[in-house]
Amino acid sequence: MRLPPILQRRFVLVTGKGGVGKSTVTAVLARLSARAGRRTLVCELNTRERIPGLFGQPPVGGEVTRIADNLWSVNIQPALAMEEYALMKLRFRTLYRLVFENPVVRGMVGVIPGVHHLLMLGKAFNHEREVESDGRPTWDTIIVDAPATGHGLTFFQLPRIIRDAVPAGNLHREAADMWALLTDPRRTAVHLVTLPEELPVRETVELHQRLTRDLGMPLGCLFVNMMPPPLLEAAQAELFAHLTEAPSDPYLATLWAAGRIRLGREALAGSYRRQLADLALPLIELPTQYSRDFGPEQISLLSDRALEQIR
Amino acid sequence: MMRAERGTPGTSDGERSPEGRSEPRTLRVADERLLVTAGAGGVGKTTIAASLAVGAALAGRRVAVLTIDPARRLADALGLGQLTGELRRVDPALLERAARTTRAASEGTRGELWAMMLDVHTTSDQMVRRFAPDAETARTILENKYYRYFSTSLSGSQEYMAIEQVRTLAADGRFDLIVLDTPPAADALEFLDAPDRLIEALDSKAVQMLQNGRSGGFGARLLGRGRDLIMRSLNTLTGGQFLEELIEFMAVFGSILDALKTASEAVHHLLRAPTSRFLLVTTPTASNVEEALHFQTTLAERGLPFGGFIANRVHVAYPEVPEILLPDLARTLALEAPLAARQALVERLHSALRAHNRMAERDGAALERLAEAGGHPPGVVPLFPLDVRDLAGLARVAAHLER
Repeated sequence: MRLPPILQRRFVLVTGKGGVGKSTVTAVLARLSARAGRRTLVCELNTRERIPGLFGQPPVGGEVTRIADNLWSVNIQPALAMEEYALMKLRFRTLYRLVFENPVVRGMVGVIPGVHHLLMLGKAFNHEREVESDGRPTWDTIIVDAPATGHGLTFFQLPRIIRDAVPAGNLHREAADMWALLTDPRRTAVHLVTLPEELPVRETVELHQRLTRDLGMPLGCLFVNMMPPPLLEAAQAELFAHLTEAPSDPYLATLWAAGRIRLGREALAGSYRRQLADLALPLIELPTQYSRDFGPEQISLLSDRALEQIR
Repeated sequence: MMRAERGTPGTSDGERSPEGRSEPRTLRVADERLLVTAGAGGVGKTTIAASLAVGAALAGRRVAVLTIDPARRLADALGLGQLTGELRRVDPALLERAARTTRAASEGTRGELWAMMLDVHTTSDQMVRRFAPDAETARTILENKYYRYFSTSLSGSQEYMAIEQVRTLAADGRFDLIVLDTPPAADALEFLDAPDRLIEALDSKAVQMLQNGRSGGFGARLLGRGRDLIMRSLNTLTGGQFLEELIEFMAVFGSILDALKTASEAVHHLLRAPTSRFLLVTTPTASNVEEALHFQTTLAERGLPFGGFIANRVHVAYPEVPEILLPDLARTLALEAPLAARQALVERLHSALRAHNRMAERDGAALERLAEAGGHPPGVVPLFPLDVRDLAGLARVAAHLER
């Protein structure tokens, strides 16, 4: 399986409004990448883990752990990320302890807003630079299940804010490098996720504008999650349209109501889907799964649907 | 185009639960002074918060709803055009009209409904002005570049500023009830912990010394034993000037910390008062339910009062239509089309019904889990074909929650 070019970038960020299915899309992208033979790492950010479960595995915690062929997952913890970063720079654990177990330093770190998000982004960034002993990059693809839109935007901006606020030194340099990665269209792709509903669509339009115009971040695809699949063929729909009133038979009336509601939802979803076409992003529809469970089987199915649509 | 949709039967209210069913009341809003809605992203917290506020106002209480979600929709629904950092009153005439659209609304005295959005910028500036010992100090803080960086740019600052807002509203005698909408779950925890983190940080030796010292270069002295090594190490991590400047800023900021600490303690107690309740909002999907159950544990760990679950967007099952009847039903279907076409149509409709009922089954299992964990049945709001987009819609949701 060969991946379309848009899925070949190394550093992949998935964002969207809360509850639209970012983790689902992250899992879909991870599966496609891993099955194309790329060593793939998924980063969740200090959250209740979703990704391992979608591959039928238990949560992995703060350690990078293999969850499928070519696929690893990690739930980045700010405290661990800080220790890792500090040890990398300070080299000695005793020195690390002296510094970070100092109550004043701890107090400062605890109160500075944004520091946790910066540490998590920094760790994902470090994985991007990670190399094997022979110099080859450890990861072909790193996928970050980023925070929801509201917080996501401040999250993406962090490196730029720090770069501009901190005059010089290590922190400034790291932030500048991070920002360079985030805005590099050869290495990075930000995929947007939305639902065919009013509010998510409105937020997606705003998000798209801010990401492109204000932040200059390179976008990938727009995933429209939970598109109701067409219930009827065109001829059937025409036939059904003749039934303008509920049939008198109670069973038929129930079937009729179920059809009306479903077609109403389809029409509405379709109209929101059309609004998204204005964004001029490759648009990928993921059909609603009317199943009790949502797991590996659904991810596999959605991955196939997605691949059919990506050029 | 939304309006055209609204008239069609397929997009009517969608309430299909039997009328007059009396379930145990899950929410007794009457005694509470503070309701906090929390839950995963996208579950409808803001709508639920607004609905609770509308319901309470219709029942005669004076309510302020405070939202953190910058979404415009709530403002639209409340008829306010735009929510700002200032409290604004919802037009009583609109409220009255909404009341008439739901059978739940009784005659009688209406309360008041006020709403505001948490405006990080304004709130933090106000806080500095109020707590600074003098105008000069306030100005120094407001013009400091790190202040701007803290108060506007970084995630997390909202949490600090919300603390102050909630406290102010609670202290304001005008309201019987405050409804507070929180950021999505992970951030909500940060939000809930913010007062305690502040108290802890402010109790630290660092801050006490910050409040005493103001002169340049004192920062390093705070660190105590090993300070030179610590400063050098930190400089390796960050860059020299940054740290010095930051500590200088903290020193100026230290002048308002006492007042901030008092405020944080007040919020700490307010959140745990016998008249405060946390309502955990979720949709019936497995992952959101997991998150809600986890959140319940988190509340308990922090000594925060759990008030119940609210399940939003619940599929209500259609009556079953036995598959064996489909051929007969196709024959009786009054359409001018070959039997085979009618049969195919009926089968497709049946598949829509089955798909919906599978979701209803999933949702039923979720409701059971929530009932078991919550000790009583969750509040249930059915899946509406359209978004709740006006006061009448909010009143309708409130009516569901009061059942």
